[in-house]
Amino acid sequence: MISASPTERTSQSSKLRVEDLNVYYGDFHAIKHANLVVPENIVTALIGPSGCGKSTFIRALNRMHDLTPGVRVEGTVVLDETNIYEADLDPVTLRHRIGMVFQRPNPFPKSIYENVVYGPKIHGLRSRKSLLEIAERSLRNAALWDEVKDRLHQSALGLSGGQQQRLCIARVLAVEPEVILMDEPASALDPIATSKIEDLIGELKKTYTVVIVTHSMQQAARISDYTAFFLLGDLVEVGKTSDIFTKPKDKRTEDYITGRYG
Amino acid sequence: MTAAAHPARFRTSQSIAAQRRFADRLATVILWGCALAIVVLLAFFVGYILYLGLPTISWHFLTAPPSEVEAGGGIGPEIFNSFYILILTLIFTVPTAMAAGIFLQEYARPGVFTTTVQFCAESLATIPSIVMGLFGLIVFVSLLRWHFSAIGGALTLTILNLPALMRVTQEALSSVPNAFREGSMALGATRWQTIVRVVLPSAIPPLTTGVILIAGRIFGETAALIYTAGVSVSPGKSAFDWGLFHPAETLSVHLWYTHSEGLIPDGAQVGNGTALVLLVVVLLFNFSARILGRWLSRRLTGA
Amino acid sequence: MYGLVIATRPSRASLNESVAKAVLLSACIVVVAAMGALLFYLAIEGTRLIFADHINPFVFLFHTTFDPDSREPGAFVFIAGSIFVTLFAICVGGPFGVAVGIFFSELAPPRVSALIKPAIEVLVGIPSVVYGWLGLTLLAPLVRTYLGSQTGFGLLTAGVVLSVMILPTVISLSEDALAAVQTPLKEGSMALGATRWQTIYRVILPAARSGLTVAVILGIARAIGEALAVQMVIGNSAVLPRGLLNPTATLTTEIVTDMGSAQPGTILQHALFSMAFLLLLIAMALIVFVRVALRRQV
Repeated sequence: MISASPTERTSQSSKLRVEDLNVYYGDFHAIKHANLVVPENIVTALIGPSGCGKSTFIRALNRMHDLTPGVRVEGTVVLDETNIYEADLDPVTLRHRIGMVFQRPNPFPKSIYENVVYGPKIHGLRSRKSLLEIAERSLRNAALWDEVKDRLHQSALGLSGGQQQRLCIARVLAVEPEVILMDEPASALDPIATSKIEDLIGELKKTYTVVIVTHSMQQAARISDYTAFFLLGDLVEVGKTSDIFTKPKDKRTEDYITGRYG
Repeated sequence: MTAAAHPARFRTSQSIAAQRRFADRLATVILWGCALAIVVLLAFFVGYILYLGLPTISWHFLTAPPSEVEAGGGIGPEIFNSFYILILTLIFTVPTAMAAGIFLQEYARPGVFTTTVQFCAESLATIPSIVMGLFGLIVFVSLLRWHFSAIGGALTLTILNLPALMRVTQEALSSVPNAFREGSMALGATRWQTIVRVVLPSAIPPLTTGVILIAGRIFGETAALIYTAGVSVSPGKSAFDWGLFHPAETLSVHLWYTHSEGLIPDGAQVGNGTALVLLVVVLLFNFSARILGRWLSRRLTGA
Repeated sequence: MYGLVIATRPSRASLNESVAKAVLLSACIVVVAAMGALLFYLAIEGTRLIFADHINPFVFLFHTTFDPDSREPGAFVFIAGSIFVTLFAICVGGPFGVAVGIFFSELAPPRVSALIKPAIEVLVGIPSVVYGWLGLTLLAPLVRTYLGSQTGFGLLTAGVVLSVMILPTVISLSEDALAAVQTPLKEGSMALGATRWQTIYRVILPAARSGLTVAVILGIARAIGEALAVQMVIGNSAVLPRGLLNPTATLTTEIVTDMGSAQPGTILQHALFSMAFLLLLIAMALIVFVRVALRRQV
């Protein structure tokens, strides 16, 4: 309900602007009047107890809810200057600009190479040379190249969980999005793989705007510049990560930070 | 600003985006078209059979014995035989298939025996029914010297339909949540007590639906019966021939026989009427399976 | 007293348990025995042609003249006929069935599914003779009138009837295969900006490949084993067809047509049993293919 706008800092321009967003699962009001501004080239973390709506929220940012029958989204989400929920906007083109990494690694049952070039191919890129370039660049940027360069044409399902997740990130990088949404990308991974993903996110924000859902406050503190706190469908508070963790304005945020909610 | 930060970014050209959208819409239209075509096809079949057959239907046609050479024969004994063989088949099939299905689902552990049973069931399910008919011819007609008989036909159909009913049983049982079993076993019930008192009762709705649907298929089966139950009915006035060892031509066999071997001049009308009766009975089986299944599950879960 | 009751109960229960288990087990043995007997008797009757009549199996498999009276029971025409109608059915009914399978698993709103699915169950239930009758009274006259075939009976008519008959098998199995593809894969593709069709075509269909193979194999099994519907419309002449409109015969239709008049112990009867045995072997081979396809999936 409270809209703390990080755009007070003039050096940052806003990439995504969420205004009065509501999501319903049938009769259940899952996100209530959420407002949020996501600055460019910054990592914004969404935190909150499980079931608070943070995943529901992030899936509204690239219209993934369109794919699930029975979900209704109201309100506006503005990417640069365009409202992505405008009637004549093609969600397919939109998802090209806003990439998404999911909770569990979901590589396609194809070779590593085919996974990475899947996006460019479906967007009409045919030249083998550019596809190879894109594959190498994306895998390098996802810090996976050295581990897989000798087996690009083997099945992606043979990779470890952490490698699979970095492959999924490479797959998103390959379509060169402007925003990358991550829905608890490390929750299914071991600590070593997790720290690799976290390092990677630090690199990504130089080029991309990142929004990440995490259930771990430590992770949010380590990697994000801004943090938004969700509780029971309300976006309770948003601000610079250091402020949220040291001097939260809302009592509920404080309770959560100090461990009084599950 | 954005462009400067990402010099390499490629974006889908307008024409490619339009192409993709077009392909997507085209595919959607085609897929919907295919699905609707099925419904139209079925409606057309049913309508056409009704149109052909209705003029033939009369009380006489439904009850009179068939004629070999003259016009004006009925299908009374054939209707009786179809139901008679169906019931005999169910009497053999249901207990055997359910027992085997229960064993596979609730008792069997992976191993050579389970694999063998599964493989035999799958093979039986795939064997053409005419081949099954010849097996019945070898065993029941020749070897056991039963000649063409209702019981030989029913036993042949039993083997033919065992696998399908086993599958139905296994699926019905697997739809019962494991928590039910654990709850019962935790109270000290044996596995068999658990099956009889907890698992089977909750599997009744899907089992009923499955059995009726399979009954519909048994009713319409033909190829396996021509050389086991035969293509003739016992001479005599009564349509009801309870003789297990008498030849028992069913409706579907009669439809085939009038067309390919029959001599009667009104074969087309008799065929049209027979096809109509077959279709109506099969539709009734389908509807009752659906309605009864829904009613049972509402009664078992609701009350 | 009470203690006694508690003490006796387990032994009675465990007795029941072992009796029940034995009964259930014997039902499984019935299934195995039925398959064993089937294989055994058809193998015996099906090889009399070779061992009793001393006919070269090569003659049976590859000769095109079927003249059992002069010791030449060449079944090649029937084998070819079976292959032709089956190929026709799977080429027409296969893609159509998979398309409807895709419709159910990816497109159909639940209400539409609930409306169309019962229709498919009815299609399964319609007896094969009724399909044959429809082919006979509806399709054959059309073929006669519009395509200039003399009788309307032949490969084309039989193939079309079979295409419809295998639809339910292909639809329900391909739907199962496609529905088993996990949502995260679909979402992964959509999130990269793929259209629904691109996702189906490039991710879902490849991921469901082995299940779709099974759907097609079992469709083939259904087509190759169908006897009466085909027999009623294929024309039943033991010649290789020169075109889609020519009458021919298949393994199953030949059995149906001639078994009634085959005298026991003749080469004709033995040849028909050999055809049945061949069909049995084909069915079992298809089941082995299914198992291989499913194992590859894991």
